[in-house]
Amino acid sequence: MRQRLFNTVCFLILLVLAAVFIFPVFVVVINSLKLKFSITNAPFVLPNAETFSGVENYVTGIEKTGFLSALGWSLFITVLSVAVIIIFTSMTAWYIIRVKNTFTSLLYYAFVFSMIVPFQMVMFTMSKIANVLRFDNPLGLIFIYLGFGAGLSVFMFSGFIKTVPKTIEEAATIDGCNTLQVFWLVVFPVLKPTAITVAILNTMWIWNDYLLPYLVIGQDYKTVPIAVQYLKGGYGSVDMGAMMAMLVLSIIPVVVFYFLCQKYIIKGVASGAVKG
Amino acid sequence: MKLNPYRKYFPIFVLPCLVAFLIAFIIPFIMGIFLSFTEFRTVSDAQFVGIENYIKAFADGSGFLESLWFTVKFAVISVITINVIAFFLALILTKSVPGTKLFRTIFFMPNLIGGIVLGYIWQVIINGVLLNFNYSITSNPTFGFWGLVILMNWQMIGYMMIIYIAGIQNISGDILEAAKVDGAGSLITLTKIIIPSVMPSITICLFLTITNSFKLFDQNLALTAGAPANRTQMVALNIYETFYSRNGYEGVGQAKAVMFFIIVAVIALAQLYFTRRKEVES
Amino acid sequence: MKNKILSAILSIICVFACLSLASCGKKKENLIYYLNFKPESASVYEELAQKYEEETGTAVKVVTAAANTYEQTLKSEIAKSDAPTIFQVNGPVGYDAWKDYCLDIKDSKLYSYLTDKDLAIKNSDGVYGIPYVVEGYGIIYNNAIMEKYFALPDRKTDIKTVGEINSFDKLKAVVEDMTANKEKLGIKGVFASTSLSSGEDWRWQTHLLNIPLYYEMIEKDMEKDPTLSLLDADEIKHKYSKNFQNLFDLYINNSVTPKTLLGSKSVADSMGEFASGQVAMVQNGNWGWSQISGIEGNTVKESDVKMMPMYTGIEGEGNQGICIGTENYLAINKNVSKEKQEASLKFLEWLFSSETGKKYVTEKLGFITPFNTFKDDEQPSDPLAREITRYMSDTSYKNIPWIFTAFPGEAFKKQVGNALLDYAQGGKTWDDVEKTVISQWKSERS
Repeated sequence: MRQRLFNTVCFLILLVLAAVFIFPVFVVVINSLKLKFSITNAPFVLPNAETFSGVENYVTGIEKTGFLSALGWSLFITVLSVAVIIIFTSMTAWYIIRVKNTFTSLLYYAFVFSMIVPFQMVMFTMSKIANVLRFDNPLGLIFIYLGFGAGLSVFMFSGFIKTVPKTIEEAATIDGCNTLQVFWLVVFPVLKPTAITVAILNTMWIWNDYLLPYLVIGQDYKTVPIAVQYLKGGYGSVDMGAMMAMLVLSIIPVVVFYFLCQKYIIKGVASGAVKG
Repeated sequence: MKLNPYRKYFPIFVLPCLVAFLIAFIIPFIMGIFLSFTEFRTVSDAQFVGIENYIKAFADGSGFLESLWFTVKFAVISVITINVIAFFLALILTKSVPGTKLFRTIFFMPNLIGGIVLGYIWQVIINGVLLNFNYSITSNPTFGFWGLVILMNWQMIGYMMIIYIAGIQNISGDILEAAKVDGAGSLITLTKIIIPSVMPSITICLFLTITNSFKLFDQNLALTAGAPANRTQMVALNIYETFYSRNGYEGVGQAKAVMFFIIVAVIALAQLYFTRRKEVES
Repeated sequence: MKNKILSAILSIICVFACLSLASCGKKKENLIYYLNFKPESASVYEELAQKYEEETGTAVKVVTAAANTYEQTLKSEIAKSDAPTIFQVNGPVGYDAWKDYCLDIKDSKLYSYLTDKDLAIKNSDGVYGIPYVVEGYGIIYNNAIMEKYFALPDRKTDIKTVGEINSFDKLKAVVEDMTANKEKLGIKGVFASTSLSSGEDWRWQTHLLNIPLYYEMIEKDMEKDPTLSLLDADEIKHKYSKNFQNLFDLYINNSVTPKTLLGSKSVADSMGEFASGQVAMVQNGNWGWSQISGIEGNTVKESDVKMMPMYTGIEGEGNQGICIGTENYLAINKNVSKEKQEASLKFLEWLFSSETGKKYVTEKLGFITPFNTFKDDEQPSDPLAREITRYMSDTSYKNIPWIFTAFPGEAFKKQVGNALLDYAQGGKTWDDVEKTVISQWKSERS
């Protein structure tokens, strides 16, 4: 009996909290459907016949920010960066663990070290180097992301590879596989759960990253966060309606991604933490 | 000694990653330390000035100390609130309450939304509430401070909750059963069994919340941009502004960045050291 | 379902991969890259770029910096391999910061177009910045509301026309009486919001501060150009700080918005309030016309939009005019290829001398230009631009030049803006504001 009462109380608390968590998104959605001058003055009022604006905010917002191309660039940069990160850091991590010498352990510590360094420390110099080397385009940015994402990713792969027995690799080598084949045909399939975790963590980071792409490629290839921030001042005034609409549009892909891969995301976050 | 057969694969396995890492991180990092002792505009024109930049960083009007203090206060409060709330949510959600999966889904969702977008969402909400009292988020730095704390909680609680849930689920049922048989109350179970067993989760959650709180930038930029009068400016934003909004202060910005890095590194390592020691003890 | 989404995502990625490969493969950089300073005309410039490409086949890349982030954007953009070829400096101080990037354009046609060659930024070696627009600011008022006020039977002042207002005391009397009668006048406040959110405070920390410092400089040295005096001033006394306070207080005490909310208001908000007839006055310049005319639900009539001088109670302000000048000087990037420099100059010359270009400049951008390529009838016809020309040609007014181009830099202005916000919200006294102005000036100049 007590147990049931306890459960009911808990359930109610959770229900309230869940409402609190959803509320902000809800507010943004309703405001995106209102005329721009009826937003700041009454954000919690539902649109009515007088203030309802239909999809107008969405149209102006997309037009002003170039949102569709921003979405494309975000997608392109995120997916390719994550793929590149997975491919190269898993190989590097495996090499570091299997070839144990002073150099590789030094390298390992350098990767781990990079995880705690704040971005501001290298912000200026890194964007300078990226400019000088002409990495200030989407492909160059992907390369930069590989370097920046390497810390966490190598660290997580290494943690897992340590637990993988060498015997299967040795068996495969005896069977005549070369090292690349050993890695991709034998080792990588075993790493798959970690790879998913690494992919999820990097996706969440790169998709939402603002400052790095802003400094490296800036205005030419706006990503979604840059497009949203640009709306703030790019036209001399903040069009609150368009702003709300863009916020909604930038949440949609995230929600879709979340519902498609929820299982992996939750697992990835949990196991990513355990390894750390 | 036999050479490791894998060694010749260095160019394929390590080189791409290493080059990227050198370009994106190692070289900028070393250059950054060097540049913090120089005056420069375009890097190639750097002039050695000793520790002048470090002195200037603390000068009046540079805002570094103020932003640092603001960040520390913010970090302390957010780290505590996020972890306490996330932990209790995890406790409840590992009990047999209906709809746990749905709740988990909802609580985690804000974490996927980017900092810039989050900042603007909360700006609308907070301004909407404060409007009833004829205030806005920029009327008073206290509003901005709590706005950031609420935002950070909203974003991070779900993530930490997932980690705590994983930790709690790892506790073997036998131990809990044994405790129940021994007549341990729920408070004793919590303090003597659950908390010690989830110590690894606590370590990682503290690490993530502390470093994220200190490094917060996007949310700060979007929510208040430092207003009013830079009094809700956090260190990361202060450094950014020093670099990009003032000509001739690039060196000072870099010096601030070096100090910021040292502070974050010391705090993060100290925290890892202490909580890890606790893990071993239990 | 999942597969469909997946394939959609993959095809998008392919498209963008092609795009980025194409842009890398050709290594085609923009010949002309214009970093625009004026966010309110961002879309006009984009249109212009298209027009230019249609006419000449040369593409122009236009990027607009967000409000008050021009220096910041310029700094990060100019470091890139595809750097801006045309950028802008805001006067002598701006030139000093960017002189390593400014090309000498004394032999350009653009320079030869200047009616008054002294307007350019130059030194004994060359010419580095060309002003392209003359602007003016003051207190914009809605004449319909003023007429309504003057027709009130029980008003407390005996002033009958706006023309009679020629001092701060008279302005104050009228404004305060209008506030007392605001219901009858159908307004929510006399002045539009004193926008003090970050990046939106330039009307006060730059434009308003121009006036007391101007009087201080001409008093300091009658003979010398006040801009140069200010440029040489390592310290200022801020003697007319109280006069600055006079007008600032008048703004915030008779505002449509409570003081505590000013920190969240933007310039666009104020212009919207003016356009929709909620207020009678707003301090701004002729560039603000597009923000008045472009607002939906705009009720103010074009013929009712007028401008009056900003009186602060300084002795001898009886014949004071409005503030006229420029802070927009175009510069060509010295560090890009010769080909790009020439193409950029060609674009600017097209903009300020071809029929299409001139049409855009006067009609859409609303610029009063200092170029001899514009005939008398090729001037903007909006009501505020007409007000500026009226003040410029009426010799009974003594207009105030824009000397704020000699302010120490963005950091100074920002600190002053912060102090003003604090003052408005009650966190600081006026003495603190005054001290901030003086001490920040000194520390930024040292």
